[in-house]
Amino acid sequence: MQANRLPLEGIRVADFCWFGAGPIYTENLANHGAQVVRVESQAHIDGLRAAHPMPEGKYTLNVSGYYNNYNASKLSFTLNMKHPKALDVALRLVAVSDIVAENYTPGTLEKWGLTYEKLQEVKPDIILVREPMQGSDGPHANFGGFGAVISPLAGISHLSGSPDRVPVGLGTNYTDYVINPGHTVIATLAALRYRNRTGKGQVVEVAQVESSACVVGTAILDQTVNDRVQNRQGNRLPHAAPHGAYRCQGDDRWCVIAVFSDDQWRAFCQAIGDPQWCHEERFATFQGRKENEDELDRLVEGWTSTRTAEEVMETLQAAGVPAGVVQNARDVLENDPHLKERGYYVYLDHPEAGRTAYDGPGFRLGKTPGSLQPAPMLGEHTERVCKEVLQMDDEEMAQLVMQGVLF
Amino acid sequence: MTDPADAPLALDDIRVLDLAGEPGMYCGKLLAELGADVIKIEPPGGDPARRIGPFFHDEVDPNKSLYFFGLNSSKRSITLNIATADGQALLKRLLPTANVVVETFPPGYLDSLGLGYTDLCRIKPDIIHCSITGFGESGPHSHYKTPDIVAIAMSGMMYLAGFPGEAPDRPYGNQTNYCASIQATTGILMALLHRDATGEGQQVEVSMQEALLLNQETAVPYWDIRKDLRGRVGNERRLPAIGVYECQDGYVMFMVGVPGFGSPWPELMRWMVDEGKVEDLLEERWKNLFGQLDMRLIAELYFGTDAELVATWVPRLTHIDEVLARFIKNYTKEYLYEEGQRRGLLVAPVNTPGDLVENPQLNYRRWFTPVEHPELETTITYAGPPYRFSEPPWCIRRPPRIGEHNQEVYCGELGLSQEQLEALTGAGII
Repeated sequence: MQANRLPLEGIRVADFCWFGAGPIYTENLANHGAQVVRVESQAHIDGLRAAHPMPEGKYTLNVSGYYNNYNASKLSFTLNMKHPKALDVALRLVAVSDIVAENYTPGTLEKWGLTYEKLQEVKPDIILVREPMQGSDGPHANFGGFGAVISPLAGISHLSGSPDRVPVGLGTNYTDYVINPGHTVIATLAALRYRNRTGKGQVVEVAQVESSACVVGTAILDQTVNDRVQNRQGNRLPHAAPHGAYRCQGDDRWCVIAVFSDDQWRAFCQAIGDPQWCHEERFATFQGRKENEDELDRLVEGWTSTRTAEEVMETLQAAGVPAGVVQNARDVLENDPHLKERGYYVYLDHPEAGRTAYDGPGFRLGKTPGSLQPAPMLGEHTERVCKEVLQMDDEEMAQLVMQGVLF
Repeated sequence: MTDPADAPLALDDIRVLDLAGEPGMYCGKLLAELGADVIKIEPPGGDPARRIGPFFHDEVDPNKSLYFFGLNSSKRSITLNIATADGQALLKRLLPTANVVVETFPPGYLDSLGLGYTDLCRIKPDIIHCSITGFGESGPHSHYKTPDIVAIAMSGMMYLAGFPGEAPDRPYGNQTNYCASIQATTGILMALLHRDATGEGQQVEVSMQEALLLNQETAVPYWDIRKDLRGRVGNERRLPAIGVYECQDGYVMFMVGVPGFGSPWPELMRWMVDEGKVEDLLEERWKNLFGQLDMRLIAELYFGTDAELVATWVPRLTHIDEVLARFIKNYTKEYLYEEGQRRGLLVAPVNTPGDLVENPQLNYRRWFTPVEHPELETTITYAGPPYRFSEPPWCIRRPPRIGEHNQEVYCGELGLSQEQLEALTGAGII
């Protein structure tokens, strides 16, 4: 038995991903022991390297918090795929890799000469993982898109938020972060295990729209079975009341409260001091609370609005009633005592960006926990990859640099 | 190495005991559809989630919950009351046949029944035990009650969803179920690869809050690096053609003119010209504005805190936006999507579930998957696969009825007699 061996140690990933959903996926592999060689180029900068947030007055390609948070623990290897000599170098990398990952528009890898057949020639059991927007075939295969248009396409925007409001979605490119990278990691690990058992590689495809539409599965079934077009219902649920976000003391402070049962309702009433309105006939049953939900919400907010969100949460949770502060980024990073104790956010020193926070792994392995290294600067590991991974000598490397291949 | 012919699926040598409630159900489904034998262990009478609607033909029945169906396909089901000594004994008899246990009980509960990780290890030393709880096994909030909305709120993602000044929005569909289960499945697969290589099992711990935190996008880096607090922006279109517009039959999303993303503003102008709806936008004073927009300015307009900059830019852009909104209002979302994309513009319809099931791309790729339900004498169309393997194919079977596999597992595998099964059923153990 090997102590402290990470689950993916010995696995190498040739990572041609860019922007969000792809790099987040490969970071998960890197944090758990895989050697992820991020193939980038100064000729074709990953848009996230140029995206905010960057430190005030310090705008370079190495300091974006957007990029860095999703590329921890990787090696950055600059290779200009548009150069005719790049293909050979890329194939040498593939030959010593287990996984090739990409999330380009269909046909991009092929344009560079990196067809699956070519990859197989140099590495017969290679696993090619593709994460296109809509899939590699079909009438919309070449439609453009990225995270922002997936929420509307996949039905998430239509179904979320208030019914009398424009369906704006969740304020983020939601499925870029856990859903699509997560499904892609799962598919990759399954393909790896399949390879370990059978000796066979394969092509894995995660069409981002398909992966995203999985999360509205209930609405799809309601549609296909009952022919019912679900609409957004705000924060309410058919089987709970009160259920929503309630205004608390302070600027833009809110606490959610969720009461699912009569027991929880009684506990809620007691916890808030058993005011007169709690005893009103119309709130005595679940059905009554549902029928008078507008008024109920108003009364609940009457109680929450004179208290801090933290006080509301702590009071109710102490009584066994589900409640939680609508935390903002500052809360989760600096104030949440629980996250602090568990050390979810990891602070790492970066030569240009300084000390910044990174999201830690979304799950914890008891014996082989993941760990993070700072995100790489553009081309930081080009020399190391050339020498250690591709076994190049100094002269060959120098030539490739001068020719603009390693760029 | 196993003979390829004997190992057609990624996980067909793996058995999972699935004790999970709502947040972990999708995990068991994912594992089952990668080939694992997932035995769902429900309390007698059935999992409480079976009582959550919508229901098949609106018939309220624990064997007809569509909510449950969507999260529990391809599993087998047995019933077992693990709070009883007999129930615990049966679970321990089943354990040696299992490789993975997934559960969502409050921290310490299984320990109190003598079924904690250390107890499981005594029976099956290389077991992989995955717990999914609201806040993890340790820490001051670890005993908090955590339905979906609480996890969503505490993870920071809710704060970003909705309109400024109004109550933040919970996303549709208990997204915690998906995120927590995806994290759990990832952890379990990594633990399995580790076990394959070393023979060593381990615990996989998932906190629902932690499973969701990454969904905050750039909000934490913004605070960390710039002390800018990202909030809700609603449908504030600080740039024309970036946001949601009302069209003839619903809504569309436009993402046009963002540098570096293709989808150029001049092409949108050409489209408006072709349709005869460009109004005065060809005049120099409007055209020139776009040359000045770069990524940083756009980011500043969206996420920045420079009120002056926003105040200078927004009014100049409002006129353009109004012309564009009038243009869009004339067409259906399908036309805007097809024609916009044909022109290389990022346009997407805000699809309803009805649009989704008619989507030509999803249907071309046969994404929606018919699943036979002989017990309901019908075939039901499910959401399709999250990923596609060139081999072996993804497969899905209908979810089980309550305790459908009691006979098969208890009598067929554990060797209980028919009388014993009936007695245990009568006693409320099974």
